[in-house]
Amino acid sequence: MAKPLGIAVNPASGKDIRRLVARASVFDNQEKRAIVRRALVGAVEAGVREVCYVPDSHGIAKSALEEFEGKLSAEAVESPQTGSVIDTVGGARALAERGCGAVLTLGGDGTNRAFCIGWQDAPLLPISTGTNNVFPVLVEATLAGAAAGLVASGRLTLAEAAVRAKAITVKVEGQRDDFALIDAVVTRERFVGSRALLAGDMLKAALLTRADPAAAGMTSIGGLIKPVSKDDDYGLYLELDPEADGVNAPIAPGLYQVIGVAGHRRVAFGKAITVTGPCVLAFDGERERALKPGQKATLRMQRDGPWVIDVARAMQLAAERGLFRIKRARKARRTAS
Amino acid sequence: MTIQATDAVLLDIHERMVRIRIFEEEAGKLMENGKVPGALHLYVGQEAVAAGVMAHLKDTDHITSTHRGHGHVVAKGGQFNEMYAELYGKAAGYCKGRGGSMHICNMEIGMLGANGIVGGGIPIAMGAAFSKKFRKTKEVAASFFGDGASNEGSFHEAANMAALYKLPLILVCENNGFGEYTRQDNHQAIVDVADRAAGYGMPGVVVDGMDAIAVFEAAGEAVARARNGEGPTLLECKTYRFYDHVGVRGMGLSYRTDEEVDAWKRRDPIKLLEEKLIEQGISTKRKISAVHKRVRDEAMAAIKFAEDSPLPDPDGLLEDVYYEKA
Repeated sequence: MAKPLGIAVNPASGKDIRRLVARASVFDNQEKRAIVRRALVGAVEAGVREVCYVPDSHGIAKSALEEFEGKLSAEAVESPQTGSVIDTVGGARALAERGCGAVLTLGGDGTNRAFCIGWQDAPLLPISTGTNNVFPVLVEATLAGAAAGLVASGRLTLAEAAVRAKAITVKVEGQRDDFALIDAVVTRERFVGSRALLAGDMLKAALLTRADPAAAGMTSIGGLIKPVSKDDDYGLYLELDPEADGVNAPIAPGLYQVIGVAGHRRVAFGKAITVTGPCVLAFDGERERALKPGQKATLRMQRDGPWVIDVARAMQLAAERGLFRIKRARKARRTAS
Repeated sequence: MTIQATDAVLLDIHERMVRIRIFEEEAGKLMENGKVPGALHLYVGQEAVAAGVMAHLKDTDHITSTHRGHGHVVAKGGQFNEMYAELYGKAAGYCKGRGGSMHICNMEIGMLGANGIVGGGIPIAMGAAFSKKFRKTKEVAASFFGDGASNEGSFHEAANMAALYKLPLILVCENNGFGEYTRQDNHQAIVDVADRAAGYGMPGVVVDGMDAIAVFEAAGEAVARARNGEGPTLLECKTYRFYDHVGVRGMGLSYRTDEEVDAWKRRDPIKLLEEKLIEQGISTKRKISAVHKRVRDEAMAAIKFAEDSPLPDPDGLLEDVYYEKA
């Protein structure tokens, strides 16, 4: 059954101070608009006729949709307009209520984390326009749009085109819960401040859903010691200590630091890890929550995150089933008289 | 070397912010009670930006400012006596009473001048940065300007030249959402002024301008880049002015709603920082109140000093106008 394709663009992704300290790429919003336009071309060709989008404070999705008038019906869902992360969380909830069959997100790890706070088991195709981009994929938007479009339009099922991601649920004593897709890190920092997590000697511990030696971010620390893939049904816990032997790891794009690792162990799904303040918790590469002295937080990992549509798998299935093959009407042959 | 956010640094930033707030509150009263000549453009609400950036600068680093410049002068180390005297047009003022609110300037603290022309200060700071590079000092220059000024030719010319010559310049855009009474979406097609940096070949970053610690951290990186010879940075701080464009209540124009102002006031940068200082045990409510009282007393004494000071001597009208050989 055809469902709407959802679009959520984070206008603030790819702009924080990690462009200064870590040489991360700059994603200006004109480029994000161009990415949405290319993705929509792919989605239309895949059979999408209905799009629901989160109206972002920069009007990126809205303006990208203008040229598709007549090809797509576009609807802005009702969502908060605060120019902050609340917009992404609320927008995700609205897209869920609207019953979107697949959602294209534009942002980095932080954007997708926020989106999943609003809609944890969303059918996502995350396009990378952020700073830390372990979760989203660097992919040509045209094909991302086509793959998401095949799922939204019901020509492929979610189960065959997507894999469910691992996630970390965080219960904070006396405060709202939180969530991470790739990593939850405990630091000795005192403030959330500019959010960037760049002082390697301040790190105390990390819980990783994946430990990827071929990615930049906290995931690389574990990845260079004991790789854990996104398909493994467990995670990795690291005890970090600046005095200990460690690894030279790319903890952010363009930034290697030596991180002391005092110990590491596999973490089974459901196993509780308790953290006590004072400390700052960082999720998916950004400082998010400051714990007061004595305040506790409990971290647990499960495979209960979003469904992530695999572009290569979706397009392979499309090829096998001939979903983009075109039969031409044959002209009657003329014979010489 | 980047300056760390130690307790002492955070308390220093807090004091700078309180000094700005109280200076401006009292200045606003003076203007609305008709005590000082002319209009004042007050900085209340934006304190985290000036304090967070200035915490990294020395007297030998230079800044330029805007028509809304008191906050920058205070954060750079300007003294209340000379500042209030300047607002009153008195001889004891920083510019001997000839500059007034929009032109306060003092070389001893590295203040190259507030500027009544929108965007006027940017090329001046760029020139200072050029001089610093040419003379091989490790000093930097910073220019404060608003979202409106980023539409001016002066911004684009200075940004181009600063990037071209890798000058030690920090372009601090205080995006308070308005060019005077014009909403940002009525004067530019972008929301993040930082996006413009890419067009000149320099990094541009966005930071929460109501969070002094966030500003401090981001500015620290920009200043370190400049000192290390890595060139300019465009640092966009998202902020808001709590008062009107001019004065406190201003002209009562309906260009923004009370709800919008109240929403921003709930993120008052001084209160946000004070909450963190208390939460982390760096200060207490009592100590914070004592800072406010001490600064308020200093402001009241400075206003008295300004009121009691003489006006400039009319015979000196041509002094400091033409170059005279010593």
